[in-house]
Amino acid sequence: MFPRVTAVLVAHHGGDHLRHSLEAIRAQSRVPDALVVVLTEADAEAREIAAASSPTHIVELSQRLSFGEAVRAADRVLDAPTSDGDALWLLAEDTAPAPEALELLVATLETAKSVAIAGPKLREWDDPDRIATFGRTITRFGRSVSLVSGELDQGQHDGLSDVLGLDPAAILVRHSVWRALDGFDPALPTVDDALDFSIRARLAGHRVSVVPGAHVRFAGDGVVGQPADPRARAARRRTRAARAAALHRRLVYAPAVAVPVHWLSFLPLAILRSVRLLLVKSPGAIIGEFAAALGTMFSGMRVARARRQLKTARTTGWSAIAPLRMPPDEVRRRRQHAAEERRERARGRKHELQFIGTGGGWVLLVSIVASVALFSWLLGAGGLSGGGILPLSSGLGELWHNAAYGWRDIGAGFVGAADPFAGVLAVLGSIAFWAPSFALVLLWLLAVPVATLGAWFAASRLTERGSVRAVAALVWGLAPPLLVALGDGRPGAVLAHMLLGWLAFAVFGAATSWAAAATASLLFAAVIAAAPSLAPALLVAWLVGLAVSGRAAVRLAGLPLPAFVLFAPLLFEQFGRGTPIALLADPGLPLQSVVPSAWQLALGFPGAAWGGWPEFLGDGSVIDAKLVVTLLVVPLILAALAAVLAPGIRGAALSLGLALLGFATAVAAGHVAVAVAGPEAVQLWTGPGLSLAWLGFVLAAVIALNAVRRGGAVLAWVVAATTIAAVVPTGLAIATASTAIAPAAERTLPAFVGAEAEADPRVTTLRIQPEVDGSIRSTLEHGTGTTLDEQSTLEQTLDEMSESEEQLAEVAGNLASRSGFDPDAAIREFGVSFVLLAAPAGDDREAAATEARARTALDGNAALIAVGETDFGTLWRFSAAEPDAPAAQIPPNAGGALTGLITAVQIIVLAATILLSIPTGAGREADRRPQRRRPPRRRPWPAAKARKDSAEEAAGADASPEPVLADQEAGDSPAAGEYADAVESDDAAEPADAAEPADAAEPAAADEPAGPDEPSTDEQEPPAASDRAEPTETKGDDDAS
Amino acid sequence: MRAERARTLARIGGRAAGLLVAAALAVAVLGAAALVPWPEHRVTPPSLVVQPAESRQQRVCPGPLLTLADDAAAATTASSIGGADATLGAEPDDAEIAETPLDAPGNPQADRDGTPVVIEVEPGTVDAGMIAGAQSQSADTETIAGFAATACTEATAESWLVAGATTLGRTSLVMLANPTDVAATVDVRVTGETGAVEAGSALGIIVPGGSQRVVSLAGLAPNLASPIVHVTSTGGTIAAALEQSAVDGLAPAGVELTGPAAMPASTQIIPGFVVAESGGIDPADDHAEGDAFPAVRLLATGDEPVDVTIGLVPEAGSTSGSTIEATLQPGRATDVPLGVLDAGAYTVRIEADGPVLAAARASVTAPGDAQQPGSADAAAAGDFAWTVSTSPLLEDAVVAVPDGPSPVLHLANEGEDEAEVQVTIDGETRAVAIDAGSAASVEVDAGSMVTLAGVSGVHASVSFGDEGELASFGVQPPGPLDAPIRVFPR
Repeated sequence: MFPRVTAVLVAHHGGDHLRHSLEAIRAQSRVPDALVVVLTEADAEAREIAAASSPTHIVELSQRLSFGEAVRAADRVLDAPTSDGDALWLLAEDTAPAPEALELLVATLETAKSVAIAGPKLREWDDPDRIATFGRTITRFGRSVSLVSGELDQGQHDGLSDVLGLDPAAILVRHSVWRALDGFDPALPTVDDALDFSIRARLAGHRVSVVPGAHVRFAGDGVVGQPADPRARAARRRTRAARAAALHRRLVYAPAVAVPVHWLSFLPLAILRSVRLLLVKSPGAIIGEFAAALGTMFSGMRVARARRQLKTARTTGWSAIAPLRMPPDEVRRRRQHAAEERRERARGRKHELQFIGTGGGWVLLVSIVASVALFSWLLGAGGLSGGGILPLSSGLGELWHNAAYGWRDIGAGFVGAADPFAGVLAVLGSIAFWAPSFALVLLWLLAVPVATLGAWFAASRLTERGSVRAVAALVWGLAPPLLVALGDGRPGAVLAHMLLGWLAFAVFGAATSWAAAATASLLFAAVIAAAPSLAPALLVAWLVGLAVSGRAAVRLAGLPLPAFVLFAPLLFEQFGRGTPIALLADPGLPLQSVVPSAWQLALGFPGAAWGGWPEFLGDGSVIDAKLVVTLLVVPLILAALAAVLAPGIRGAALSLGLALLGFATAVAAGHVAVAVAGPEAVQLWTGPGLSLAWLGFVLAAVIALNAVRRGGAVLAWVVAATTIAAVVPTGLAIATASTAIAPAAERTLPAFVGAEAEADPRVTTLRIQPEVDGSIRSTLEHGTGTTLDEQSTLEQTLDEMSESEEQLAEVAGNLASRSGFDPDAAIREFGVSFVLLAAPAGDDREAAATEARARTALDGNAALIAVGETDFGTLWRFSAAEPDAPAAQIPPNAGGALTGLITAVQIIVLAATILLSIPTGAGREADRRPQRRRPPRRRPWPAAKARKDSAEEAAGADASPEPVLADQEAGDSPAAGEYADAVESDDAAEPADAAEPADAAEPAAADEPAGPDEPSTDEQEPPAASDRAEPTETKGDDDAS
Repeated sequence: MRAERARTLARIGGRAAGLLVAAALAVAVLGAAALVPWPEHRVTPPSLVVQPAESRQQRVCPGPLLTLADDAAAATTASSIGGADATLGAEPDDAEIAETPLDAPGNPQADRDGTPVVIEVEPGTVDAGMIAGAQSQSADTETIAGFAATACTEATAESWLVAGATTLGRTSLVMLANPTDVAATVDVRVTGETGAVEAGSALGIIVPGGSQRVVSLAGLAPNLASPIVHVTSTGGTIAAALEQSAVDGLAPAGVELTGPAAMPASTQIIPGFVVAESGGIDPADDHAEGDAFPAVRLLATGDEPVDVTIGLVPEAGSTSGSTIEATLQPGRATDVPLGVLDAGAYTVRIEADGPVLAAARASVTAPGDAQQPGSADAAAAGDFAWTVSTSPLLEDAVVAVPDGPSPVLHLANEGEDEAEVQVTIDGETRAVAIDAGSAASVEVDAGSMVTLAGVSGVHASVSFGDEGELASFGVQPPGPLDAPIRVFPR
């Protein structure tokens, strides 16, 4: 009997693909006996084309059903198969079979009765010499892999016949088997549908075969299998579908007893795999990973149905198909191959810094010498004190507690959000875990070298010249805002300055790597944590950067995320209070400062008048200090302004814009006072803004100096010499230890209290400080004294008094007066054991009178026993003081469940960012640097590759037999290629995106006025190809068992 | 070629323009930062003015006049020579005043003559400062004769006594009363005309709670013409007073009991300085011997020499008064003669360019000028008085006027505005208007309570005078210890 072949063609949209496919069916040497066209929510054109082909049936579906469902719908209009020979040919709008394809497929079914499914060799639509996919199998652990994909077809696979599975496009299925197995599993709409069907057919005792001679061109429009859309979102959807399919199959294929185990393992596996996804720099796939896991776990009866279906049809054991699985050796080989490919791709991508070659070592040495010269008196010190510096908590547990939402142990204490700066301090303190307070000494000693190195690396992105890099590094490492912050004792500002250079470096690198982007986001968080006043400026810079960085914007989009998560509790509370501006408060101990004139700010000097020059020059000097500072700093500013003369206005505009933002921040900071310390409203420090401005100046100056063709080095060193000369008085003041900072004293409270604190770590001291206007400032200190990490801007910026503060004021005011107040209220309410009357600062009469008054009152208070005079003031002890006073204890579980929740979210986000920042992604990630000056040669190639990738996608495997070069200059000589790379990496930058600095380094190239405004035609496509390689990688592990 | 050159030119022009724009922008930004008055956001530090919970208000009356010489066997023992009359009162006058005598272990006659007395009211019964007491005593013994009056004072941790002398015939006793429950450790430091006197024995004097100790100034600093005594205490607080008695030849020549003067300040006011007899010594006279002339005792407590201007404004009459210029060496007490003055009451205003202490002394000679030792007529002995500088009063005050001859309340308005003072004596209210910078005197009844209203910024003192009798005490506002205090809680 003549077997009847019904071609089922599923079409969604009309167009050339559908037209060609229909023509190809008509042109078959063995014409199908019937043609059923299934229109799934098709457009008018498709309907027209379908009608024109005069099919046997047209099935119109108003929904966009999966391929399997569409075929099922077609099957419903068909008669029952009359013989085993009757077959369905599953076609789609984008499968154009070669003329003899059906003939060969039918022949296979006829010659071997055991073969139930025969599949053709799918080839690329546009590049028919290339195999799209050919056969499919699973590994020992059930992962779906394509046997062949993306290879040039030279007949090397024509010996293949029996396979485990197939891809759904253009397969010929015995109609009876199709009905017996109830078609494709509805739970596998796009991925592994045919593979699963093949496996079920195999288990039902049939064979599945490929027919190498039958060729079908396949375009990957998404009607059958996954769409080969190059966009990232589609890629993510593919990854998710592939994962969901794999998990579904796992539940279906597993023995019944193992199903619950598998089910329970999905979430832990998703977490583990997410960690891996971060390490391989595919953060975008994480949501899909979880969605797939959860979707499969709660898919209702689909698994049960599929299991039932499998069980009904199954006649043989799993061992029967074992030989058809991909052998482990092959899996290993493919993995090695993929790694090789990555290395290939990474080559030439990496930025050659030439640290030693361009004098980085010397710069580092100079900065270390400078640091030692500045802080020679600090060597050997165990801690630092003065200015805004306090010791850190001595235990790591306390340090990290103070970094988390919960009990803020400052004053009477309250439950609230921690300053993110406390987290930074906790990290620093953990580095010096043996004595956390030593971390501040380290910070001070390392500030100059670390800042210098950061600027050197940032400059290395903009210039190849060693001299310019060195000058930028030294001008940044010895910048006035840094030195003044070091001298004043402002840890936040010091950290911000130290990290800003590194932030710039990381942001420059973000276009090439996720690791750099994640590092940048961590640095961004650290900088904003250390100097929240920079947040508005940095956010503006970020937005501008997003706007100008083109395709790299994806990597920069998440830049503020860790910062946001760290600040979120604080944001919530400050907005709840209606004081969002208080978010800008400098963290740490509030430290008052004078606001310099706008002119002095413009020169970068935040602190004392004119960088200490007036004192340096002496009283009788004929030279005006203002003039000296101006003359010394102006060369840098002129050099920065000259950046607009350099080729490529963009870099100059961005750097100078950064300087402007910084300056605006500094000026604005001088007008904002949000924190309160005693009777003073402490205004924001102008230093961090000036650091940012200085960064803009330095980057702009680098661009300008780099563009100078002759004598650039000399000019650079002139700029460096004058700028560094400007900070000589500041540096001398630090070096001679005549600034606010000093090696730490052993304690911050009297030794008597310290001794008590050894037995009772919560011993509470009420400190009364007479102030200049005859008022007193009363604070509570626990244990050996308040620490830096206990400070809370939430407390400092409260614009009214909290209830406990009012109570405390009441207690302190009455203790400092002759009063009928019950002094033991201090013990009851706050657990106070000691009262310390501090000596008034300065020799103000009113403060002295207040001190006398308080002393008299305290002396005459029968509830107090005088301990005596100490270095910190006069100390009294409550006679009724109790050890471990209940009121002084931190309430257990103060933050409640919120602490755990907030901390967990913060830890997850930070841990994810840290994982992402580990540089393991070389070659795995797409290069998102702007593409330029690339003639559209080998035009078909990238497109072909795109499809190949998509096919690879659907196949879920990543092996391709030949090394795939990324879109890097395959045709150029290696040297030229590398050079072009250097140009690109220079360009790839926010915020100081130097458009073409490398042009100047190579004068021949400088005349080519190519700019970012002229995107070459292939700008979109080739990188997209390498993009889509990402999700493929993510599937390359076996987690099943 | 030409096109290329044109392009080059255009590029150079464009870049030059870019530089100009950048520079202009920089200047504009700088200008905007410097010149535009940007809005400020400045929080007000939250604070709380704490009104100390009301406590017992307490005044200490120094007790009877003492003499050293009564018992020759124990020359260091000061024993009393009779009881003092005290007048006590509070506003409102129905407030119950508790009188608690202090121990006076050094006085063998305490049983007979009484001891220092603490007067106090329960918390909440009267406003701050609205309790007053004063005492007076006329003495007529072989060694002490005259009339002395003083106000009962608050116990403080620090007080300055500007009075006394230890020259020949002058006896000065420092009376230290500790009304608290806590023992006080008292340092008595004496500064004389030659500078600070080293007296180790006067440091660390323990005054047990609820008792009085008496220290003879002569024992600490003999032969000082112008001592100034600085009493500081830790632990309990001390109400200090200084008793000075004079003997000229063999005849007693007056006695005075002086309370603390106002704390050092660059302006000091001595209200109601009564010069009983016209006369005096020119300030330029370097050889002013003795103490029988009006003078003002000054001490610059700072470390720098101080130029002072002493203004003397008569209370009555329109004369603008005289001024005396002087320079004080730091740490040396100086008695400046006030020149030849007409009899009458004066307001002494001392303006200095550094913190100073001040009190004024005047004396009166015995009538008939021929007093005899041991004369039965007390009034014939002659007397002197110290009028101390005072602090400005609060809005209301209450003054106790003890028994004594012709008591006069002196009010000196040192505020900026005219003061409308309501003086209530035994329920009778009188309005007294005092121009800024001038003074008024009100005759009051002996042994009465005077309530003052509207006296913010006014200095007050009470003087007594009769033939051969002279006494004065300043009316001090309540100490700052009870005053509200502003507390910043972070």
